[in-house]
Amino acid sequence: MRRYRQAAGEVGERRERSRWRAATTADLAAVGYGLLVVALVVISYALGAVGWLPDDPARMDMARLNAPPGPGHALGTDFLGRDMLSRLIVGIQAYFLPGLLAVATSLALGATLGVVAGYRDGRAEALVTYLSNLVDSFPRLVLILLVIAAFRADIYYVMLVVGITGAPAIASLIAGKIQFLRTKSFIEAAHVLGLSTRVIVVKHILWYNCAPLLIIQATLGMGEAILVETSLSYLGFGVQEPTPSWGNMVQAGANYFFHGKFWPSTAPALAILGTILGFHLLGDGLNNILESKSAP
Amino acid sequence: MTRSPVLEISDLRTYFYSRAKQAFIRSVDGVSLSIARGETLGVVGESGSGKSVTALSVLGLIGGSPGVITGAVEFAGGDGARAGGNGRRNLLQDLARHVTVTERDGRIVAVAKDEPGWQAQVERSMRGVRGKEIAMIFQNPKSSLNPFLTVGQQISEAIRLHTPVKDSREAKERAIAWLERVHMDSPRLRFDQYPDGLSGGMCQRAMIAMALASEPSLLIADEPTTGLDATIQSRIVALLAELKSGLGVTTLLITHDIRVVSRLADTVAVMYGGTVMEHGPARDVLAPSVEPKHPYTSALLASLPSAQKNGGPHAIDGRLSVIRGEVVDTMDVPRGCRFYARCDRVTDTIRARCMSQEPALAAVTAGHQIRCYLYGDEPRDGARAG
Repeated sequence: MRRYRQAAGEVGERRERSRWRAATTADLAAVGYGLLVVALVVISYALGAVGWLPDDPARMDMARLNAPPGPGHALGTDFLGRDMLSRLIVGIQAYFLPGLLAVATSLALGATLGVVAGYRDGRAEALVTYLSNLVDSFPRLVLILLVIAAFRADIYYVMLVVGITGAPAIASLIAGKIQFLRTKSFIEAAHVLGLSTRVIVVKHILWYNCAPLLIIQATLGMGEAILVETSLSYLGFGVQEPTPSWGNMVQAGANYFFHGKFWPSTAPALAILGTILGFHLLGDGLNNILESKSAP
Repeated sequence: MTRSPVLEISDLRTYFYSRAKQAFIRSVDGVSLSIARGETLGVVGESGSGKSVTALSVLGLIGGSPGVITGAVEFAGGDGARAGGNGRRNLLQDLARHVTVTERDGRIVAVAKDEPGWQAQVERSMRGVRGKEIAMIFQNPKSSLNPFLTVGQQISEAIRLHTPVKDSREAKERAIAWLERVHMDSPRLRFDQYPDGLSGGMCQRAMIAMALASEPSLLIADEPTTGLDATIQSRIVALLAELKSGLGVTTLLITHDIRVVSRLADTVAVMYGGTVMEHGPARDVLAPSVEPKHPYTSALLASLPSAQKNGGPHAIDGRLSVIRGEVVDTMDVPRGCRFYARCDRVTDTIRARCMSQEPALAAVTAGHQIRCYLYGDEPRDGARAG
């Protein structure tokens, strides 16, 4: 008898781990790589913030311009002989906080709109759908350039636009989830228990049932934000020289690309590629593991 | 009945509107019920007779238009009892202000409802009642528990929400005590388990523990045994019986299983087509051969397997008897008696009235009412000759 009870006791714990156990190797590898990238970005951001760098990113080593990786400069130097590795680390400052702002904006706005659309169908839902269509139909980069033209080339304005335009997609995901969950008896049972609608929405629906979805959207959103920042800086609308950003580093190196000095723009380009890929793979892997088989 | 009722529903009407058929679905059409303190009222009827909708209307959980349109739900909670019965209040108070009913020819033809105002009013009057004073357990307990929370978290949440116990450690001990009270085996282990680690019967025990943990004045059990294995069903019924005698829980028991009602209920209301056909003490209503009885009740009892063993009047050739015809269409309720089309006890003397006017719920003995012209002459209030 004792044995059976123990066996029954494990069933509850099993559900917690089963999704991770059932995950494919590819998904686990994707999540692992993504987490590594996130860890690297966060650590590098912290290093850049406190100024623990291998070299001064503004110091010009006139003896070694556009140098490939070698002793003294682990990732080489740019056209002014500045240390590439240090500039890459400092470049994270350009997108890290603005990216978080964009993600926070789109999650907060998206979740709010999604709850409204999901819980109050009818006119509210139509309005959210309309907004999302409106945003989707307008090219994002054009909108960002409009904002830059109207105000000034501030990365925080840009990221606010990125956050707002990312909200409708999250809203429709949340709305769909809520419409599905609303009909579940355990949500009805929570109403019967006397819990207020606010508690049910925030705790039982958003926190317990939508948390994986929000995490996934956050990682994808961060990748998106990095891409927008680097694109703008590349085009010259974002972070301006001499402040390093991965985008303006690619741009600065591009002038020497066809003179055989491909390295100064390739290094930041690889950093962009590896980082955005990491965020996307993390989101994708988490999505496959947490969401696809999670219908209760 | 000398004991004061905990809950008194009068003339409750809950309609839905079918867009496709352009007609009202009269799910609950003038239901009146009352439950005395400590008593168990069993509401029986076929699917679609309005049993569950009645319960959900009491808790203000029927949203949308038209929903609950008329009626009163007098409720005397725990505080009311201490104050000497003065704590009675109408849970549907002032709701009439938000609903405008247009009647034509004695029938409701249109309902205009101020939905946001109605909802706000319901939320106001339900505060401190829903979950606290009136708790509810459902059929399919597995899907009524949140799959993302442990059983213990859910019971503790109810305790901390509705009782003075706010400390989480104390709430945990309380929750475990309740799990013991509902005879959950190894309650400490179950406390930390998720619902899908438990069987259906265990989930129902957990639901009952959760409902009782807030020490409600009234427990609504909506088909508590449906969806469970037969052996588990009888254990849950035994548990409810034990809780009834041990804690004196006042219960509104909704079920289509007459055997469950006969084991638990003191009073029985038989519902058909959205209205109460018979209301009386369980021993009178459910005893197969005791008259008087509504034709629908006798037909229901005759369709039970036990009736033929007793040589009941409706058992034919050793086969189970069935009630011929189909359940009345609540979108197109007849002018006369709702059961007329399926009734086989209608006599020539009353036939004309059965067809044209709905009978009133008439008292045949003290506390026993039947809606049938066999036992009373009065037509129902508001019903008119066709």
